[in-house]
Formats: sequence, structure tokens, C-alpha cells
Amino acid sequence: MLNTVDLKQIERKAYRSTYEDGLWDICIGVIVSAMAIFVHYPESGYSAINVIAFLIAFSVGDGLLIAGKKYITQPRMGQVRFGPVRQRKIKTLAIILGVIVFMQVILVGLTAIGWPNPALGETLLGDYDLERLLVASVGFLFVGIPMIVIAFINDFPRGYYIGVLMAMAVFLMILTNQPIYAIACGGLILVPGIVLFIRFLKKYPISRGDEINGSR
Amino acid sequence: MDQDKRSDLSKLVEIDRMVHEPARLAIMALLYVIESADFTFLMNQTGLSWGNLSTHMSKLEEAGYIEVEKSFKGRRPNTNLRLTQAGRTAFQEYRRSMKQMLDNLPA
Repeated sequence: MLNTVDLKQIERKAYRSTYEDGLWDICIGVIVSAMAIFVHYPESGYSAINVIAFLIAFSVGDGLLIAGKKYITQPRMGQVRFGPVRQRKIKTLAIILGVIVFMQVILVGLTAIGWPNPALGETLLGDYDLERLLVASVGFLFVGIPMIVIAFINDFPRGYYIGVLMAMAVFLMILTNQPIYAIACGGLILVPGIVLFIRFLKKYPISRGDEINGSR
Repeated sequence: MDQDKRSDLSKLVEIDRMVHEPARLAIMALLYVIESADFTFLMNQTGLSWGNLSTHMSKLEEAGYIEVEKSFKGRRPNTNLRLTQAGRTAFQEYRRSMKQMLDNLPA
């Protein structure tokens, strides 16, 4: 009987069920769409309003995730604490992401040093289009690699799809300087998230008042 | 020969019935691979009804295989379950003996 019961599979199924609500997709979708604000140049000119608008959109995405998990997901799905293997994986992920962010900071720092010296870029790459392509490619890797690492370590298969779309959004946004790509990629992340969320609500109805969490 | 057969069969009879029951086996298998979970999570994962899970939870608690902690989260009651060391050992033992027995079956 137990020959057919795979304990790893049981654990993985339980773990992956925590992503069934689609809230991560919705949060990331909103944030990716909001990135469009960065490359939107209003007639009044690019200003701090762009940054403030992005931060507001970012907070909305994050707020949806936190509030949704607390007030919608947990009462319907329940709460779980995973074992030491998962906790070790989270620590590993934190270390890897720390290293990646550190490398990114160094790279951005070096770019900032290069800004006052456009001749350096010209010497290294020759023409403006190539330079733009390089920056877009670096942006693609900056976003794509951490997302794929997160998807792999966190056992989140949809994360690969999200990671590729996020990276594509950054790449096309930098290359073309058009906000539409961020909105389109964000939409392609957001829409499946909403579908998953609706399915989640149907699959996990809220417990009746007299049967909440094991107490009558 | 008869003596050997009898001793093999007696091993089968000695299987821990507390773990062997399918619903309890599902609860213990899930709690074995996680640290703890609340009642709602277990209900969703095992597919057991409220009453069924509640009954089996009480039996496992009486056997000392699980630890049940009742508390409140805000104004909502919360029942948290975790496998005790005795429960973990019983599950490992059950798994080992079942595997051994099934592996020895002729093809």
C-alpha cells in the first residue's frame, strides 16, 4: 500500500497548494504593469510623480498580496508550517538572492561611474543602438535570473513563466522605451492570476460559522 | 514450516491499527512531511469531512500520536495539529513493516 504513497509527492502537493490562490501572480502582474509608469513621459515632463505613481502601484500590488493571504486565503485554505527541508531552502534562497543583489549593486554602481563618461561606452561598444541593446540585455538578466532561481528553489512552476515575462517586459521597455510592453507582459501575468483566484474561491468555500477550524 | 508461516502472519496481525486506518494514515502521512497545520488545511488536503477529521483527530490524540493545540486567532478559534515523537516513530515503524511485507510478496 505504502509502495504507492510517495511522501515527497504529498509534501510537494501540500506546498504547491499554497500558490493555488493566484495572489502572487496578481501582485507581480500589477507591479510589472506599473513599471510602464517609468517609461511614460507625460507632456508635463518626466518628474517625481512618475516615481510616486510607481510606488503607489507597487504598494497596491503588495497590499493585495498581504491582505489577500490574510483575509481570503488563510480562512479558506488553512495554515501550514513546513518542515526543516523547506526552511533550509528558504535560507538558501535568501543567501543566493543576497549574492545576486550584491552583484547587481556593483554593476549598477559601475554603470553610474560610467555615466559621466559617455566616451567610455562609445569606446567599448561603438554605437548607441548596440549600447541600448546591451543595457536591455543586462536588465533582462537582472530580472530573469533571480526570478528563475526563486521559481526553482521555491518549487513554483508558474514562476518560470512569470520570470520570463518579467524579463521580457524589462528588456523591451528599455530597448523600445515604450510603456505598452510592460502593460502587455503584466497583463499576461495578471489574467491567469485572476483566473486562478476565481477557481480558488470556488474550490475552497469559507468554513461555516459553527465549523471554523475544528471548533464548533 | 507451519511455525514460520504463523510467525509471518503474526507480524501482519501486529500492524498498528491506529495508523493503518486509511483516514488516519492520510492525516499522519501529511503531518509526517510538514511541521504543523491547522484543522482547515488538513481537511482540504485529506478531503475528509469536518466530523470525520474531528473523530480521527481525537483518536490519534488519545493514542499520543498527535498534539492538538486550541487557540484563538483574533476572534476565530484555531486548532493546530502536529505529530508527536511517538507518532513519528509509529508512522516510521508502520511504513517499514508494510514495505517489508509487500516487498516480500511473490510477483
